[in-house]
Amino acid sequence: MGDATKYYDIRHVKGQNTTIDVDNGHVESAGTSFFDLAVIRVLGPRGWGILTVDNFSSAGKDQTGVYLAEAEAHALATEQDVALADPARALLKVPPWGEDIRNMDLLEKVQLLSEIEGRARLPSVVNTRATYTERLEEVRFTDSSGTEFSYETCRSGYSVLAVASREGMMQMGYERCHSIGGHSLRHQGDVGEKAGTRAVQLLDAKPVKGGRMRVVLDPQLAGVFAHEAVGHASEGDLIHEGSSVLAGRTGDVIGSPLVTIVDDPTLHEFGFEPLDAEGSAVFRTEIIRQGVLSAFLHNRETLLSVGHGVGGHSRAMAGDLPLVRMSNTFIESGDATYEEVLAACHDGVLLKGSRGGQVDTGRGVFQFNAEYGYLIKDGEQGPMVRNVSLSGEILQTLHAISLVGDDLAMHAGYCGKGGQTVPVSDGAPHVLLDEAVVGGIGMD
Amino acid sequence: MARPMYSWTKRWWVALEWIEDVLIEGRRLGAETEVYVTTGKSVTAEVRKGSIDRVSGAHGTGLGVRVILEGRIGASSTNDPHLWHRCLDAAIAAANVATSQPWEGLPGPGAKDGPPLSADSRVVPESSETVRLVTEMMKGAAEYPVAVTSGSATMAEGRTMLANTSGAWYEVPHTVVSLSLETICGQSPGYEFGQSVGPDIDPVAIGKKAASLAYRSQDGSEIPTGDYDVVLSPIASSQLLGAVLLPALSGRNVHAGRSPLAGSMGISVADPAFSLVDDPHLPRGLGSTWWDAEGTPTRRIPFISEGILTHFAYDRKTAFRYGAVSTGSAVRSGPGGAPAIGFHNIVVSGPGGDLQEGTVVCAHDLIGAHTANPMSGDLSVELANPFLIRDGNPAQPVRKAMLSGNVFSMIRDIAAFGDDIRQIGGTYLPSIRFKRQHIVGI
Repeated sequence: MGDATKYYDIRHVKGQNTTIDVDNGHVESAGTSFFDLAVIRVLGPRGWGILTVDNFSSAGKDQTGVYLAEAEAHALATEQDVALADPARALLKVPPWGEDIRNMDLLEKVQLLSEIEGRARLPSVVNTRATYTERLEEVRFTDSSGTEFSYETCRSGYSVLAVASREGMMQMGYERCHSIGGHSLRHQGDVGEKAGTRAVQLLDAKPVKGGRMRVVLDPQLAGVFAHEAVGHASEGDLIHEGSSVLAGRTGDVIGSPLVTIVDDPTLHEFGFEPLDAEGSAVFRTEIIRQGVLSAFLHNRETLLSVGHGVGGHSRAMAGDLPLVRMSNTFIESGDATYEEVLAACHDGVLLKGSRGGQVDTGRGVFQFNAEYGYLIKDGEQGPMVRNVSLSGEILQTLHAISLVGDDLAMHAGYCGKGGQTVPVSDGAPHVLLDEAVVGGIGMD
Repeated sequence: MARPMYSWTKRWWVALEWIEDVLIEGRRLGAETEVYVTTGKSVTAEVRKGSIDRVSGAHGTGLGVRVILEGRIGASSTNDPHLWHRCLDAAIAAANVATSQPWEGLPGPGAKDGPPLSADSRVVPESSETVRLVTEMMKGAAEYPVAVTSGSATMAEGRTMLANTSGAWYEVPHTVVSLSLETICGQSPGYEFGQSVGPDIDPVAIGKKAASLAYRSQDGSEIPTGDYDVVLSPIASSQLLGAVLLPALSGRNVHAGRSPLAGSMGISVADPAFSLVDDPHLPRGLGSTWWDAEGTPTRRIPFISEGILTHFAYDRKTAFRYGAVSTGSAVRSGPGGAPAIGFHNIVVSGPGGDLQEGTVVCAHDLIGAHTANPMSGDLSVELANPFLIRDGNPAQPVRKAMLSGNVFSMIRDIAAFGDDIRQIGGTYLPSIRFKRQHIVGI
């Protein structure tokens, strides 16, 4: 360890990635790639010096010393004093495999995926495509204080897309199923059919007329709301930088008392982490408790500089720097039934499914898109609508939540930040917003 | 005087003699074989809350192997070139389960191997230079009363190498300098970035722009919901086109039934003022190259000429399958797996005009452009740093505005192009004024 090094850690990830792409019945690609990457971080007299290298498995003690010296040299160019909180150390057990897909033949996976894709091919459907990914990672974390952890994970799953076309109009249906512990491809044909059916149904759906109105979010989209609007704005690095509207607001009532929003990396959902990317133990964090902003998500650095919360929320892609990230983020269940939520809405729009979203945490404005929706008339589900999106201001929208259902459900997805994409899950029950800005191009 | 751009000899540090071994072994196994190797190093300095807290270096190598066995295509990749045997075996295993298709061979050594188009020898990744660039950006930002929240400067150099069993063997260096800065003034953020193959990039101007956007966007007023002419900056316009229009030009999407432009070849798909070409030979273009990611010679492809759709993009795989000709449009985002259809330097152009006449809503960026529906072109996005301009009066910040429209309709309704053409990633375009778009305000 160099004289200028106060601390160092090494996160080494190696493994393999298998992908299959079946497009209109044609097996476009099906193969496995390999990776072996390490991130070496050195905390110097002031800030971080970091080095990313590949093929770290073959680096012996001498080469590791060379890498540490190079990272230390980078650290000497920094100017900000960085200090780290002492972490809790514990490694959770990785959930057991459903079926050990590592032993399943590639050809069998191709055949099972093709079955799912084939079931999406309904009349009026002009394109079907299914993709499968399976990622095995062996992670080893060591640091200068003698900490050493290692574990293995497997995340896998598939998505299926159907495109329906009629008289120049094209619509799509999309389903995605991913999990940790090896997602089975067996008996999944119904999911393909669901994607195909949705694409065809959307051909007859009308575009919604945009404006301010009452809306019901389904569990998937309400989960995206929790993630985009609240989760990102509570990330300790954004709070530290000063680019979140939630900075300095802990203890304040920032939403309806019906709202409790949690991030929990210990849950055996797609965003599960047995250990965070800085070797810290992971914990459940209640970001909002009954409308009151309670805690932020932290890494070791932001826990010390910002406070309010616990560490263990640092995550990284293989070969990338740890960032403060969400894992499994959700709105806790309330006590209203789905029928009660619809009845309370009376007239509005039910937004379902998600095509993703984005947030500007500094301005406190978010946007996300539903896959489809239904008009709600007199408290009942009406005709299907397409191209429904929602935007709003975080703080206004949290106050606008007037009813929370009792039917929490989680959905797997991926979250992008700082050029890195990590697996996450989001969830919620059905949620009623008294006023929201709905985007749409429909006319009266 | 600047040093000459092409002094690259003996500058590289990775031995590549094993590439020949991969090709020999692939041939022995009866497979057409292609090897794609990237090597590179970079240094990034990052600022957080007004000072530099992190400097990172990276070096890496990537190997991609693609094989073709009787029209079955398989690929694999690794970042440990010592594992090339494993990678070749995985590519062959992949080919064995792929569907066979018509295949007319990998290209031979036919592409012009001219001077590097996307490299500048003045770019040498060093922490001191990235620290200087970040410091200069912060100086620019200091001209306004804003706080710098985050930002970075990256200098990267790399080398791409492509060889195959048909005798093609190309090597090219590339460099890039990337700068970005985020600032905030109260609850009003501003973001600006710049990228270039060389150090000809003004860090002070980037810092100043990021700060001025945050400063000027404070205290926005609400505007009524309605139809407005909308001026989207090059950043915002490139997001719109990248999310919807460019995927619709991919030959694979066209033949697979995923492009709404599939039946529109030779007819009008955009305003007669709108032209879109891919120009792979643009000097100092970030995506410039003499050969594409599978060794096909590149050429200028006019995809949309004065509103008329004239080409779709093809790689060899898609061209052979559908009886078309490769447009030299194969790209790889990295060494992983196989090449795919993409673009090199998209250039959007059209006649200039008055962007600020009458009443217009302007936006610097879009929030949520990736949520647009690529099949239908429908999108609803929040505008970032929106302003309202009335009759040439000073721009008034707008608190919140959501644009709801359809990209395929929007490009048919263009009022004017600005004279502010700039490079956004691999796209060169000016601000574009779109007629009568629906804005949801209050």
